This record gives sequence, structure tokens and C-alpha cells, in this order.
Amino acid sequence: MLGCLLAKSLWRGKARTVLVVLSVATASTLVSAFLNIAFTVSEEMAKELRSFGANILLVPKSEPLEIAIGGLRFVSPEESAYLEEGELPRLRTIFWRHNIVAFAPFLSQMVEVEGEQALLVGTWFDREIPIPEGKRFFAFANGSRREVAPDKGTFHTGLKNLSRWWQVEGQWPREDEDGVLIGNELARRLKVGINDRIRVAVEGKSVFLSVRGIARTGGDEEKQIFVHLKLAQELFKLPGKMERVQVSALVTPDNALAARASRIGPANLPPEEYETWYCTPYLGSVIYQIEEAIPNTKGKAIRQVSEAEGAFLGKMRLTFILVVAVAVLVALLAVMATMVTALFERRQEIGLMKALGADAKQLGLLFLLEAGLTGMGGGIVGYFGGLALAQLLSVRTFSLGGLGFSLSLQAAILPITLLAAVSVALLGSFFPAKEAMRLEPVKTLRGN
Amino acid sequence: MEPLILLEELTKNYDGKVLALDRVSLQVYPGEWVAVMGASGSGKSTLLNMIAALDRPTSGSVWVNGEDVLSLSEEERARFRREKVGLIFQHFYLIPYLTALENVMLAQYFHSMADREEAAQAVHEVGLEQRMSHYPSELSGGEQQRVCIARALINQPKILLADEPTGNLDAENEEIVIAIFRRLHRAGLTLLFVTHDPQIGTQADRIVELEHGRILPTFPAKALRSI
Repeated sequence: MLGCLLAKSLWRGKARTVLVVLSVATASTLVSAFLNIAFTVSEEMAKELRSFGANILLVPKSEPLEIAIGGLRFVSPEESAYLEEGELPRLRTIFWRHNIVAFAPFLSQMVEVEGEQALLVGTWFDREIPIPEGKRFFAFANGSRREVAPDKGTFHTGLKNLSRWWQVEGQWPREDEDGVLIGNELARRLKVGINDRIRVAVEGKSVFLSVRGIARTGGDEEKQIFVHLKLAQELFKLPGKMERVQVSALVTPDNALAARASRIGPANLPPEEYETWYCTPYLGSVIYQIEEAIPNTKGKAIRQVSEAEGAFLGKMRLTFILVVAVAVLVALLAVMATMVTALFERRQEIGLMKALGADAKQLGLLFLLEAGLTGMGGGIVGYFGGLALAQLLSVRTFSLGGLGFSLSLQAAILPITLLAAVSVALLGSFFPAKEAMRLEPVKTLRGN
Repeated sequence: MEPLILLEELTKNYDGKVLALDRVSLQVYPGEWVAVMGASGSGKSTLLNMIAALDRPTSGSVWVNGEDVLSLSEEERARFRREKVGLIFQHFYLIPYLTALENVMLAQYFHSMADREEAAQAVHEVGLEQRMSHYPSELSGGEQQRVCIARALINQPKILLADEPTGNLDAENEEIVIAIFRRLHRAGLTLLFVTHDPQIGTQADRIVELEHGRILPTFPAKALRSI
């Protein structure tokens, strides 16, 4: 009987039902859009922001004192410590390996280029590396071990992937040739252009290299010259060595747990917190896992990008929360106004129900179920509306991925949106329902 | 025999200006059919509302089936209405978006649990088996009132209270409805009617006449019939 009563009452008050559904749908559209943006678009934006450079720097554990002036490093060769190039593929074996977007090794020394001093940097331009095979075990503080199936195949990485904002005139040098990528400022000073050959002198030995590309980076790289790592190792007589690695990793903004792990050290966290921390891609936990995989490495956070990203996403979230709050408030008032009107229209019906013996609980249940169902309808409409709005915002406002960027149907968003929608409908109906329960049947049946 | 309805010194004063009931005392016995008559504004409907626990008096007491109605909480008054009394109104008051059968089932639902078979039987007993799935707007006044009678009887109340039950009916439908009441009375149900129509009043065992909120000397209906 209750179902019949609800269905027929909602159908009879179609206009009112639609009005409440629309009010709730408006608010839940924004809730759903916000959640989609928070969950999905933020991730995409994080990827975009991450494309503006690395956020982790790997150096040898026994790193020497280094003086850097204008991007030039001053370290005596005997003091230098190096990493092994052969260990680099292990970066793709850590727990959060799929969050490692790109990395590139560097080996640099001051050289003479066409009679001028410049920093020559060896790196991987565009390298496909095989992923090490074999099952991996991750041990946790409570003693449990988790086996993770290994990835197969290869991984594409290098400076080209790491520094996607660089503008390169000409082309990136290939890994198997003696081509160079020269910084725009240095090229201008040396008056060299694409396909020109330049003489590079290192420790009395000279080599001639072809300019394949000229890079505009907006940074110190414009005064440097880049060759592939193997050539730099040969020139510097450091086979298989590299002095630092820049890594671009997708990370989660730090929270209280990440801050505590950073303050007291992950090893001092309680076992459950340690596992949570380890299994969350904080910048700190990713670095920790890299240091586990390559033991003689020390990871440093390059905070600039991650902090700017965190601040931007934080502001964006705050703006959305304010917009959602205002929308929810407006929807609440709209539902309340509609329900008060409905109460006035249905007072005789309510009076009759009370005269027939309906008590406050039965009437309250009836009203709140009506509101809940209407809210549920608004929530469903709003959920899909929110998906569409988030898609539109991602394309039009944030220019993310164009139309090809697809929002995944986040499993958690639907229940949260529905909960918000039903809550708005219930809260908006609460006072009118309370008023309905207080109506005196004798007055309403008389028409007073 | 204990009276089923016992009113003592019942007074209802609206805002201290209108004295609707003035120290009314009345006893109605089980199985009795009482007609409360009087001109408009004499306090007939107010009296019925007090008995049905729809309104509270300014002073006095109301006992129904041994229960002090005035001492009941709001929740207990609701329970009292659904269990003890069946109500019939002049303007029918059917839920417009429910069918005849569903209107009857609604009273069942508030009482305990809706039972379609039982509700259908009640509708059948008032002669509307062909109209069960009709909406109130598709029924005549007489048919609507018969649905109301079925609704009032569905929870097997102790007393049937009716406020001008034939006030909106034509002569033909009035006769049908009164025939149903006669049948219910014969079956032993206690009936208390409010009416201003002497023709209806004469059907009752006893007529109680109200004037300006006070009861005039009571006389048996057969005395009126003999005039």
C-alpha cells in the first residue's frame, strides 16, 4: 500500500516532483562534477602539470659537495660519486612503478665548445628499455609479504618524455649517432645552426659533432649542450656511469600521514600507518621505494612542481567546494519552498489521513520517503549531468585531452552523489514534514 | 448496561468568543442509533469531533468504550481513531489519486496492514464491486459516500460516527446509504449521526437536539415519526 501511495502521490504532483528533482539535480550535478574533477580531472591535470618537469632527483648516496652557479656544476672528478646506468630499469620494478611517467639519467662536465666553456650533458633522449623480469615481493612492517606479478615488455623514456615543454627546432638527436641538442643561447653565441658541425674538446681530445636540434627551455639548459649518454661516458672516461637521474612520478598531495612519515621517518610509523603510507603514492613513499630498489641512491623531492601543483589543485578544489555549497544551499531552499507549497495544497489530505488514524510516524515516513525518492531521482539525473559537466569543463576550461579525454565512471561517485541528493531532499522536506505532523485534522477538514 | 459513549459537562469555547458546546452531557449505549440534530451552528459537528478525538473540549470529559479520551496523548488519539471509531463526512474526503479500493485499503494500512481481499469484500458489501478500480472523480456522490462507509467499517470500529452523511446526496442515493446504515444497526453497530434533516433523524432510535450548544430534552425518534 505504501508503494502504491507513494507512486500515485508523486505522479499526481508531477509538476512539484519535477521541480524538486530539478532542484536536487542541479546541486547533485555540481557535486558529481566536483567529485569527477577531484578524482579524475585532477589526476589528468596532475599529469599535465607533471609534464612540466621531474619531481624527483636521484643522486648517489655519497654525493659530494657541489657548487652550482648558473647551471654549471663545479665538482672535482676525484670527489665525484656516480650511479650505475645499468640499475636504472629497476625504477620500473617498485610498488608504484606505474606512477613513474618518465626518467632520464645525466652525466655532465665542463668542456670546450668552439673555444668556449660550456656544460656538456650526456642523457637518454628517447630510449626504450626492457623491464627487468622476475616476481617481486613487497614486505610490510607487520611481516606480511605481497607478491606482485612483474610487468613485461619495454618502457619508453628519456629527456624527450621528461621535458615535454621544451621547444626543439630541428629534431631530437637519435640514440645511435653523434648528434647534439644545443641550447638556444649557446647556439646563438657560437653562431651555429641545424646540421652545423661543432668541435668539442675534453681533456685535450677533440670530437666533431653535428647539431640536430636547438632547444628553447626558458632555463639554464639553453646554455648547455646535450649528447647521448654513451658518448658522454666515452668522452669523460666514465663507462656505465651517471651522476643524477630526474624522475617524473604521479604522486598524491601530502597529507597529515605523509607529513608525519617525513618528520619521524617511515620506519617509526605504526605498522598499519606504515602500510597505508607505503601503499599510497606520496612523493616520499615513491622516493623511499626507489631507494629500496636502487640501494646506493638518494632521492630528493623537487618540490617546485609538486607544490605548485598541490597549491593550484587545492585552490581549484576550494573554489568548487564553495560553488557546490552555494548550489546545495539554493537547492535546499528550493526543495523547502516546494514542499511548503505542497504541504499547503495537501493539508486536507493530511487531515483526512490523521482522521483515519495515521500517526506522526506514519505521516513522517510517507513524506520523507516521497522526498527521498524524489531526491534519488534528482541524484541520478545529477550524477550523469555531473559527468557531462566535468567532461565539458575538462575540455573547455582546463583544455585537458580534448574530446578524446574520457571520464571514467568512478564507482564511489554515484553513491556519494545519491547520498548528497537524498540528504538535500530530506533536509529540505524535514520542516514541512514536521509541520504536516502538527496539522490538526479538524481544522484542515473544515478548510481552515 | 455501561454506556459506550459518555459525555459529561462538555463545553467548547472558541477563543472565548463562540460557545459551541455548553455543558453537554450525553450517554450512548452499545447498539444504539442516535441522531444529533439541530440548526447550523448549534454545535452538532463540534460534539462529533470531540467523540472522535479530533478536537479537545474547553472543559468536561469524554469517555468512549471505557477510555478517557481527553487523557490520551496525540499518538494514542491516533490509535483511538483507527481502532475505535469509523468516520463518515458530508464531503466524503476520499484521496483523489487512489481508487475506491485503495481508499479503503488506506484505512487498513494506517490500522495495521492492507489486505486487498478484505478491502474488496468491504467494497462489495456497499454494492460497489463494479467500481473498485474507479477514482473518486469517476464516482457519483452516493457511490463516493458508500466508499466512505466501506472505509469507515474496514477496521471493525465500535462506533460509526457520521457528520451529515446524506447532506450531499440526492434522494435515490440517500435511500441507498440509509439502507446500509439500517443494516449495520440491525447487525448491532452503534451509530451516532449528526444531521439537520428530520427525515434522516427519524431513522434513529433516539434524537438528541442541540440548540446554541445546549441539549434540549431528549425524545425517542418514534415520537417524531408519529407527528
